[in-house]
Amino acid sequence: MNKSPAMISNRVSARAVVQRLTLAAVLAVLTGCASVKMPAAAPSAANAEKLRATKLLPAQLGTFKLAAGKPADMDTTLGGLRGSSVSPANGSFAVQLRDEIAAELTAAGLLDAKSRIVIEGQLTDSMVDAGMSTGKGRLAAKIQIKRDGQALFDKEVVAEATWESSFVGAIALPAAINQYGALYKTLVGKLFDDADFKRALTAQ
Amino acid sequence: MFALKHWARRAALGLFLTATAMLGGCASAYLDGATKEIPAAQYKKPASPAPVQVLFDFQTKGVANAQATALLRDRVLAQVKASGLFSDAGTSAVPNGAVLSITINNVPMSDDAFSKGFVTGLTFGLAGSQVSDGYICSATYRSSNDAAPLTKQARHAIHTTMGAAATPGNAIKMQDHKEAAFQMTSAVVSNLLNDLSQDANFK
Repeated sequence: MNKSPAMISNRVSARAVVQRLTLAAVLAVLTGCASVKMPAAAPSAANAEKLRATKLLPAQLGTFKLAAGKPADMDTTLGGLRGSSVSPANGSFAVQLRDEIAAELTAAGLLDAKSRIVIEGQLTDSMVDAGMSTGKGRLAAKIQIKRDGQALFDKEVVAEATWESSFVGAIALPAAINQYGALYKTLVGKLFDDADFKRALTAQ
Repeated sequence: MFALKHWARRAALGLFLTATAMLGGCASAYLDGATKEIPAAQYKKPASPAPVQVLFDFQTKGVANAQATALLRDRVLAQVKASGLFSDAGTSAVPNGAVLSITINNVPMSDDAFSKGFVTGLTFGLAGSQVSDGYICSATYRSSNDAAPLTKQARHAIHTTMGAAATPGNAIKMQDHKEAAFQMTSAVVSNLLNDLSQDANFK
């Protein structure tokens, strides 16, 4: 029996659909798409210890926002996760950083809404790459500290991480998401370690 | 039509094989039996318990794990509160400056969990495999800002079997991995609190 062009065409088309569906299903299993919201900020033992080691004056937190000239989506979305996504707890990665600093200062009894010292920040970088063999993450912010409007500290603080990744999404993605979240603690820890930061929060 | 069915069958088989390989058969969680939970009744209670600030961190290979920390923090805090070693326990700073910092670090005891699971999956579970996760729990307590720290450490493990692997020796089967994590945390923290309470310098 001769097959009509329409039959052949339908079969090829159906085969292509089945192939694509199979590929999509296999990729879904291999990558395991996920959408993760970052947990609310909480103090860490390591950073609390850093604050306790120095007698600092209480401070209040001002505005934390995306730095000028940066793409708007840097503050709300995160690429490099093979189709999965991470969103900040309060809709903004800059605010996530603010909340992290607030949590640490609160735990140390150093957050005072009436303080003359104000800490402000601008998010300058936020990225993660769940690479096939090596993962990379970077978080950076320009932090300013002012007392009565006078600048005491103005510096960009950067936290970076690289780690062994995997071609398997089920392994690579949780690791990348975890490493990205940890960058906030690292950045805050670096800020607390900075001699100029300590000086700014001890200056009378 | 036949060719289409043939393709569909091949596609389904391919998907099944891949999914089976990835999932590695059914995974069962076992709590290691070496570290036992110590009831609070056995702790040596101080004569005058003081309030304490509790800070808890969960780490994966030494890297802060915010999701796991959020999952376990309230349980750890509740356990410290119920210990009877402190008059109160919370996350805020306390007037006397006392702080109890507890960190659990998840260190894989075998780092090739994926390849083991893959083999188990490819053999439909006939070649079973086991991976183990170690947990190093550290506690540092300071009774005041200027006090010398008291440091304690305890260890635990959770074993995961896939396919037809033998049941791990000296281990208790858990309902799932979440339950295993809860019980592991409760047991290591109880050991830390007990060690702390027995320390002559703990007041």
